[in-house]
Amino acid sequence: MRKMLTGNSAAAWGARLADVDYVPAFPITPQTEIIEALAGWCAAGDMAARFVSLDSEHSMLTAAGAAAASGARVFTATSSQGLLYGIEVLYTAAGWRVPFVLVNVSRALASPITLEPDHNDVLAARDSGCLQIHAETCQEVLDSVLIGYRIAEDRRVLLPVIVNLDGFTLSFTREPVDIPDAGAARAYVGTYDPGHAVIRAGRPMAQGVAVLGGAGYSFFRYQMAIAADNALAVHEEAATAFAERFGRRWGLVDEYRMEDAELVLVMSNSFATKGRAAVDLLRAEGVPLGLLRLRVIRPFPRDAIRRALAGRRAVAVLDQNLSIGSGGITVAEIAHALYAESSRPPLLSYCGGLGGKEISEAEFRHVVDDLRRAAVTGEVPPPRLLYTEGEAAQMAALLRVAGKETPR
Amino acid sequence: MIRVRFHGRGGQGMKTASRVLGTGALLDGFVAQDSPVYGAERRGAPMAAFTRISTTAIFERGVIPAPDLVVVADDTLLDDVAARPLAGLTPAGALLIASADAPEDTRRRTGHPGTLVVRDFLTLALAEVRHHAGLSSALAAAAAALLGLTVAAVDAALERELEAIGLGAAAIGANLRLAARARDGLARVTFSAARPAAAREPARLADVVYAGPEAGTPSIAAPANTPLRKTGNWRVFRPVIDLARCTRCWVCFARCPDGAIALDAADTPIIDYAVCKGCLICAAECPTHGIERIREARGAVTVETSA
Repeated sequence: MRKMLTGNSAAAWGARLADVDYVPAFPITPQTEIIEALAGWCAAGDMAARFVSLDSEHSMLTAAGAAAASGARVFTATSSQGLLYGIEVLYTAAGWRVPFVLVNVSRALASPITLEPDHNDVLAARDSGCLQIHAETCQEVLDSVLIGYRIAEDRRVLLPVIVNLDGFTLSFTREPVDIPDAGAARAYVGTYDPGHAVIRAGRPMAQGVAVLGGAGYSFFRYQMAIAADNALAVHEEAATAFAERFGRRWGLVDEYRMEDAELVLVMSNSFATKGRAAVDLLRAEGVPLGLLRLRVIRPFPRDAIRRALAGRRAVAVLDQNLSIGSGGITVAEIAHALYAESSRPPLLSYCGGLGGKEISEAEFRHVVDDLRRAAVTGEVPPPRLLYTEGEAAQMAALLRVAGKETPR
Repeated sequence: MIRVRFHGRGGQGMKTASRVLGTGALLDGFVAQDSPVYGAERRGAPMAAFTRISTTAIFERGVIPAPDLVVVADDTLLDDVAARPLAGLTPAGALLIASADAPEDTRRRTGHPGTLVVRDFLTLALAEVRHHAGLSSALAAAAAALLGLTVAAVDAALERELEAIGLGAAAIGANLRLAARARDGLARVTFSAARPAAAREPARLADVVYAGPEAGTPSIAAPANTPLRKTGNWRVFRPVIDLARCTRCWVCFARCPDGAIALDAADTPIIDYAVCKGCLICAAECPTHGIERIREARGAVTVETSA
């Protein structure tokens, strides 16, 4: 069935098709429509899940982990301040080694307060032990929720999976989406067989209570690291099985016009669509440009990225995030992936799109000019904040209206 | 690709209209993308919605700065400096406006030299479905006719989208009749496929420098100024209190969400029509049913718009 769906609807459909047992919920813009849809379906009997409103995201994520530890298939969703409010639980629940899918609708973090998207929220959870898949389209959101359950529940992984979609540009934007047949989707995700963590009278166990230090603590944390690395192969198996059943093949990364690309833009999430437009525009002008879209963020697919970028003449990473005091987050991890490569290209770093700030065609042209120069001279400009003179002038005018003087 | 931008006030149904167009395009075999954008979310506040329609994958997201077709549900938005409904519209584009004004007056007022369709869709909507939200069906049908989408696809889209927002069969039927009247006599417009050659100039990036804590932190240094913002021109209906039925019970004064009703020394309620947005909560809450809804006269309220 092909319908116009928002990213939020697509996420809700993913949970519905995965036939989840339990949805602990707490609303936050721009995610609320996901749980409104699920609440409606549960109330109408279209979903067999138990829907429960919790008092906060902290409680919500605890409920998600605890329910998963009892053997239930769990779905939940949050965003931004909500994700950070419950973030200690993400670390804890991942350490319990229980699977659930958490959809994060990315929204930039206060302060200032905003509703618009960037990726500092979801990336704040990158060390937590939760896996992360970042979606560019509404179709990819739905598909990744299903794939997420296959990965999370695999015995070689058993870690929560976060599926990220951008607020507004994806969450409230409708695109054509193929909704898989319910039976086929249920067959694809299968049944969760929670061998190691269940509530069963005949098999008592205690979860989440172990107090260990040193070598004991390290052993269990290393197990999580290995499980996350296992997810590279498990993702490929799950994605291949998905492609066989539904005809869409999702990779660890996504490449656009990369076959003969000499210059590369690296982006993620829904703004990567603007990157595709920039590639088409510059290609029509004879520039050998390609786009590498980061999709699986945890585990970080170092080999896939290295293979995609080795031998290129110059690479620009557009981080829609900013680690205050350091710079772009993914560019640092990409540099790490490329460091040992003998033919590693000049790596340029840009931070843009913060708080959903537009990345214009003119800004893409600026980046490509830097790429062309780097390709010829090997010279890498310092990391740059994408902010145009026009935007700076508008900001200066706003500050004057607000009665604040800017330095000359 | 055809890019359509809708402008309306919250509650006038322009988000639904953008979805009717999106679903209609999908049913006619196109690729489509639609989305809304709001400022502060409240009834009557200006909002916009966007629909992109293409035969190939759509590699754009977010707001449409250069629309082919602009649809304006409320002609008071033409003077709204925040809404700017005509921004980015070129002479090659088309303008569809719900207005009781004569087309010549609208052409003068907007300065748009290209295709201009002006109809009193609001009166049509109030006649067929008795609610101003009928503007969504009327403008969607008119816009679709200008784009050349099939009536079958648009009617099917209307059924789907109106059912999705909870309308029953009878209301949907009325909306389909409204759509038929709204699109009557409108012919397909040819939109130029050639985009104006955008400047090929790369952006000049600003060097963002340290601004110090007074300017460089998001603190608000000025006192509150909400009373300066006059919103009386948002009204479709004006509430009028029948003082003979008024029992001075304070309910309307208490329930007005904008504090637009004051009480004099005798507890008589007085509505500030420069502020009243016409939400009609007072009329709904009045225990003696003593508040009438009067269709607002065009030009009855002029408010200063600050630059």
